[in-house]
Amino acid sequence: MPSSSQTSVGSGALSHAYIQNPSLRCNVPESRGLFYDDANRLLICVTSSQVFSWETATFNPDVSPSVDSIPEGPILSIRFSLDKKAIAVQRSDCEIQFFHRETKQTLTHKCRAGSESILGFFWSDSPLCDLAVVKTSGMDLFACDSAMNLRLVETKKVNVNWYIYTHESRLVLLASGLQCKTITGFQLSTAGVVRLPKFEMTLATTESNSKPIISPGDVHLITVYGRIYCLQVDMEAMLLHTYRFYRDAVVQQGSLPIYSSKLSVSVVDNLLLVHQIDAKVVIIYDLFVDSRAPVSAPLPLLWRGYQGSDTSSQQENEGTESSTSNENIVMYEEAWTFLVPDLILDQTNKVLWRVHLDLEAISASSSDRSSLLEFLQRRKLEANKAKQLCLGIARTLILERRPATQVTQAIDVLVTAYSYSVKAGIYKELKNEKTTATTPTNDGASPDNERGRASGSSIDEEEVEMNLPSGSADEQQESQLSSPAISPDELYKFVFASVEEAMVEESDYLVAIITEFLRSISAEKLKVDLNIYVMTVRLLAHSKRFAELSLFTTNKIIEPSKEVALQLLESGGQNLRVRKLGLDMLRQLSLHHEYISSLVQDGYYLEALRYAQKRKVTSVRSSLFLEAAFASNDMQHLAAILRVLSELIPGFKETSEYYTFHGLLNETSSSVAV
Amino acid sequence: MGNETKSNGASSLGGGGGGFRAKMEHYVYSGEKKHVLAGIGIFTVIFGIPWYLMNRGSNNHRSHQDYMEKADKARKARLSSSPSPSSDNQIHAVNDPLTQGFPCPYKHNSAMSEPVAQSFGLCLLGFILKGFYEILEAMGMASMNSSGESLKLCVFDLRRGQNEGQELDKILFFYPPDVTFSTQLSVIGLSEGLITFTRLFSPEAACEVIEAERHSHVFHEAEPDIWMVMVVEKNKEIEAIWRVDALQKVLKEVHSLFVMFHGSIRSLLDKEPSGGLIRSHLYPFITDYLNDLSVGKKLQLPSFRETLKERGTVQMLTLARDAALEVQSLVGVLDSCAGTLRCHSVILFHDLLVSTTLSPDDTVDLFTFSVMRLTSNALSSGTSSWSYLRKGTSLSQTSSKSTSPQLLVSSDSLPSGNGHDAGRVIRPLQHNKWIKGKDGFLVTDIWGKDATPTIWLHQRQERVHLLAYQQKCLTLVLLVPTEAIVNGELDISFVKHQVIENATAKILKVEEKLSKGWGGENAYHVSGYRYLLVDNDMEVSRASPSGKVATLAKETLLAVNKLRETVDTEKSRTKEEKDMEICIRAKNNAWAIARVTRGKELYMALEKASDTLLDATDSVQSFSNRYCNGTFSMD
Repeated sequence: MPSSSQTSVGSGALSHAYIQNPSLRCNVPESRGLFYDDANRLLICVTSSQVFSWETATFNPDVSPSVDSIPEGPILSIRFSLDKKAIAVQRSDCEIQFFHRETKQTLTHKCRAGSESILGFFWSDSPLCDLAVVKTSGMDLFACDSAMNLRLVETKKVNVNWYIYTHESRLVLLASGLQCKTITGFQLSTAGVVRLPKFEMTLATTESNSKPIISPGDVHLITVYGRIYCLQVDMEAMLLHTYRFYRDAVVQQGSLPIYSSKLSVSVVDNLLLVHQIDAKVVIIYDLFVDSRAPVSAPLPLLWRGYQGSDTSSQQENEGTESSTSNENIVMYEEAWTFLVPDLILDQTNKVLWRVHLDLEAISASSSDRSSLLEFLQRRKLEANKAKQLCLGIARTLILERRPATQVTQAIDVLVTAYSYSVKAGIYKELKNEKTTATTPTNDGASPDNERGRASGSSIDEEEVEMNLPSGSADEQQESQLSSPAISPDELYKFVFASVEEAMVEESDYLVAIITEFLRSISAEKLKVDLNIYVMTVRLLAHSKRFAELSLFTTNKIIEPSKEVALQLLESGGQNLRVRKLGLDMLRQLSLHHEYISSLVQDGYYLEALRYAQKRKVTSVRSSLFLEAAFASNDMQHLAAILRVLSELIPGFKETSEYYTFHGLLNETSSSVAV
Repeated sequence: MGNETKSNGASSLGGGGGGFRAKMEHYVYSGEKKHVLAGIGIFTVIFGIPWYLMNRGSNNHRSHQDYMEKADKARKARLSSSPSPSSDNQIHAVNDPLTQGFPCPYKHNSAMSEPVAQSFGLCLLGFILKGFYEILEAMGMASMNSSGESLKLCVFDLRRGQNEGQELDKILFFYPPDVTFSTQLSVIGLSEGLITFTRLFSPEAACEVIEAERHSHVFHEAEPDIWMVMVVEKNKEIEAIWRVDALQKVLKEVHSLFVMFHGSIRSLLDKEPSGGLIRSHLYPFITDYLNDLSVGKKLQLPSFRETLKERGTVQMLTLARDAALEVQSLVGVLDSCAGTLRCHSVILFHDLLVSTTLSPDDTVDLFTFSVMRLTSNALSSGTSSWSYLRKGTSLSQTSSKSTSPQLLVSSDSLPSGNGHDAGRVIRPLQHNKWIKGKDGFLVTDIWGKDATPTIWLHQRQERVHLLAYQQKCLTLVLLVPTEAIVNGELDISFVKHQVIENATAKILKVEEKLSKGWGGENAYHVSGYRYLLVDNDMEVSRASPSGKVATLAKETLLAVNKLRETVDTEKSRTKEEKDMEICIRAKNNAWAIARVTRGKELYMALEKASDTLLDATDSVQSFSNRYCNGTFSMD
C-alpha cells in the first residue's frame, strides 16, 4: 500500500484525476455485450433475450438494473428512446428493430439492401424529428408517433464513411472523402436542424503515410462551458487539433500535443482530460482560457478505494480494498472504453467508473494563485470544495504576506466571479440552500424548462449554451452549492475576519488589502458586511494612522453606520480627532440617543441638552445632564438644565430627580447668597 | 457687564493715541516717541474700527503722569464694580440659548480684572519700555521709518549672547540683511525685553504681538528660546491692515518648512555652536521664502484681502467614493514601493490634496512646499520665464533673477565650509529648479547633481527621501525611509522603477477619474456665499475661490478681518474648545458671520444689504446643512 492516505492503484500516489470505488457493476451472466446510451445515460447489458439497463446519471452502485425482454438476434447497437418507452436495436447494416416496452409492439425498419447500409441511429428531441438514421448515402430523419409508426421527414444526402454523435451536443458529424476528413455537421437541436458549414480536418502527411485516414475513434465531440468542440487526433503530427463550432463557422483553435499512440478524452466539470493511454497519464486542459497550456502536469489516473479523500475513512478503505483488488484493476487496459462525458467502462471486469478530479491536488500543484482561483471559480461539480479551497487560498495569500498586487489580483478574481454569478443568477444565498437543493439551478431537469432553454441552445454565433445533461443537476444537489462563488460577506467572514488576529501587527498590510477589496466590490457595485468597516477603523487606529482614518471616513471609503461610529468613539479614546469623527457620524446618521450620550460623556452636556431640546429627544436619562452639570459645579448651568428639562419632559417637575437637584440648587444658591 | 466693559475699555484706551496690544496678556500701550502708555483693553468689534480711524490722526502728546492717573482710576473702577472677580476674561460671544435665552449675535467685550500685582507690573512696564524707547532712539531705531523696507524679520536665540559685547551672537537671521548691526540689535533688544518682561506674568506664553503706533511686532517662539519676530510697518495705505494671526502663521510656516528640510534650528546650533551653520542655512532659506511674497519690489504680507484664507492648512479635493477607493488603492501600491519598509505618500491634484499618509502637521508642510514648487501649476509658472504670476492667486512670486540682487544674499557669499556635510548650503525653496524628467519624475539639482532630496518628518522623527512624480495635473510625493536606501542612487532608481512598474496603471486611472470629476478652480464656489471653512483638527480649510472673494467690497473684507481677529483672541484665551457665534453688520450693511464649534470654524460674508439677522443666520444654517454635514447648525 502506498504511503498516501488513499488506497491507490497506479504508478504513483500523486494524481489530479481518479476513479474510485464503489464502481457500478454490470456483470450479468451470459452477457453478450455492453452498450452505452448517452442520450439517456444508460449502461446497457444484453444477453440473448434480455436487456439490462442501469441509470448512470446518479451513479448509484446499488441501483438494480431494469430488465426488458427482446427477441433474440444480433445486436449491433441499442438505444432507448428519449421517453424510454421504446428500445431500438440495430440488428444488421440494413435493419433496425423497435420494441415498445409496454405494449410489446415491434416494428422493423429496413433500408435498401445493397445500395446503402445503416451506419447507426440515434434518437432526437428536435421538433422536426424523433429519430435519425445515418446511412452511407446520408441521414434520414424520421418522426415517430406513439404507435411507433415511422414517417420519413427529411433526408440529408451526403456520402458518409462514418459518423459520430453525442447527445449532449446534439451534433452529428458525418465524415466523407477518401481520408474521411471532409466533415458535414448537423445539429438536431430543439430549435430545429441546423446544417453546419462543411469543413476539412487537418492532417499532416509523411512520406510513409501520404494519405492517412481518420477513423471515428480519432474524433471526439466534447461540450465544455456550453461550447462544442471537436477534437481530432493527428497521429502523424502527434497533435490533437481542436475545432470550435459556431453557428456559421468552424474555427480551428490550436492543437494539443500527444504523447501516446492511443488516446481518449473525458470531460469532467468542463475540463478536458486527455488520457495518454500508452503513457498511462492524464493531462488536464481548461479550454476556457486561451492558453492551451495544461492545467497541471501529466500524472497517472489514480484508483481510490473509497469515496472521500480524508484519512478518517482509511479503515473502511482497507475493508473495501480486498474486494476490489480481486478485480485486478489495470489502469488503461485494452478493454477500457471511454464514455461521454466522464465514464470509463472496463469491459474485462464489467464495471463502470466515473472519473473524478482532485481539486485539492490540482490547487496544491499550481503556483499561479490568481489563475488557480479563476480555475476553481469555474468549477461547478464540487462547488463547495472549490469554494473552501478558494477561501483557503485567499487566507493563505494574506497570512503569507504575499505582495499586495498578488492578493489584489486574487481578490479581484473572486469578486468578479461572484458578481458574474449573481448577474447570471447562478449564485444563491446560503439561506436558500433548501430551495437550491429541491429545484436545482439547472432547470433542465423539468421537461418544460428543457424546451424553453433548449431553444436557445442551438449553435450560437458567440457562445453556444448547451443543456447540460440532467445528471449534472443531481450532482449539484449533492454538493448543495451550485457555484463556488464567494460573496463579499463570506470573504469578510472567512478571510478578513479570520486573519485579523494573526495580522494585527501588520495592520498596514491588511488595510491595504481591505482597501483593494473595497475597491473591487465597489467597482462591481456590490455591498459588504459593514463589520469590515468596523474592522478597518480598528486596524487604522491600532497602527495610529489617524490622518488616514479621517480620510477614509470623510471620503466615505468607510461607509457610515452606527457600528462604525461606535468603533470610532472607542478608538477615539487614544485620539480626540477620531472621537470627533465618531460623534459627527452619529449626528449625521441622526442617532440622537447615542450622539447625546457621547456628548455628555465628553463633558459637553450643554451642547447635548441643546441638541436634545432641538430634536425633542427624551430617551436620554435626564439625570445624565444633571449629574454632569452638578459635577462641573456650575449652578447656573444646573439651573438652566433643570428649566430645559422641565420644558422638554412632561411631568419632569414631579420626578424625584427634579426635587433632588432643585433642592441642591436651592441649597447652594442660598449659601452663596449668605 | 458689557456696559461696564465698554466704559472701562474707553477709559483705559482713551489716553492712548494708537494703541499697542500684547495679545496674550492684553497690555495696551501707546508707542508715541516720548511717551509710553501701558494699559489693558480690548477693542469692541463694532466700535473698534471707527474708533480706531477716528483716533488715528490725533497723536497728541500726553504725559506719562496723565496715563498713570487714568490707568489707576480704571483699575479702581473695575475692582469696585465687579462683584465676582473671575480670573480670566470671558467674551460672551458664545451663543448659548440655555443661559441667555436668545441667541446673541453681537460680541460683548469685557475687560479683564487682573490682580493688583499686574497693575503694578504694568506701571513698571511703562517705565521699562520708556527706557527702551529712549535707548532705541539713541541707537537709531527711529530711523526704521525712513528705511525703504516695510518689513523686518529676525530670528534670534535667547540662550546666546548673554554677556555684554556678545549681543550679536543672538542674531541668527535678520531681514533686510543690509541694515546696520546696531539697528538689528535694537530690534532684537526690544523684542527680547518685551519677551522677558511679559514672561514675568505669563511664563508659558510670552507676548504674541505688540501693536505700536507705526509698527506691529509679531512674535513667534518657534522653538524653546528661539524667537522669530516680524516687524511690519503700518502705513497710511489701507492695504496694510492685517490680522496678527495671519502674520504669525507666516512665521510658523517658514519655520516649519525650514525644519522639514534642515531639521530644527536648535539641532543645527548644537551641531555647530558658533552659529555659522544655522546662519548660512537660514539666510538663503528665508529670503527664498520671502521671494514668494514679493510683488514687484515690495513684499506683500497677507492683508485683510486674504482674510478668507487660512495659511498653514491644507486644501482638499472632495472625492467620490469610487475615486477615493482608486486613490487609496494607488496609495497602497506606493506604500510598498520600497520593499518591506513602508513608504509615505502625499498625492495632489492641481493644488489640492487628494490623499496623505502623514500626520496633519507633516502633511501641511509638505503640501505647502508642493504647492509652492512641485505641482503642475507651480511648474508651469516657471516655464514662461517672464511671467511669474501664479494664476488665480493674489500671491505672486517674482523671478529670483530680478529680485535676487535685492533680496537674496547669494549663497556664494555666505560663509562656506562651516562644517556642513557638502560644504555648500542647500536652498530647497529656490525657484524654477524643478523640472519634469522623461520618466515622469520631477528632478532638481538643488541637492546636487543626481542627488535626491531628503526631508525630515516631524511626527515620525525620521529622515526620508522625497520623490515626486507627475502625471498631468496629478502630483505624487513619495517619501522613502532612508533606511530603505542603502546603496544611494541605485536604490532610488530601483524605487522609481517600482513605482513606474507597479503604479503607472493606477496613476493613469486615478488621473483620469479625477480629471473627469474636476470642477475647475471655482469648484468649491457656493453662489451667494463667500466663506472660509477651517477644520483645526485635520488642519484642513476650504474657502471660496479667491476670484470670487475679490468681488467683495472692501468694507466687508475689513469686517470679516476684524471678526476673525476677535475669534482669534477668544480662541487664544480659552484652552478648551468652545462653541461661539458672532455676527457683525458691516458699514456697507453686509453680514460677517463666524461660527466656531468644537475645532471647526466657519467664516462667512453675506453681501445682501436687505438681509436681516434672521435671514443671515438662516443662510448660514442652510450652508452648514448642505456643505458641512450640519456641523455648524446651532439653531
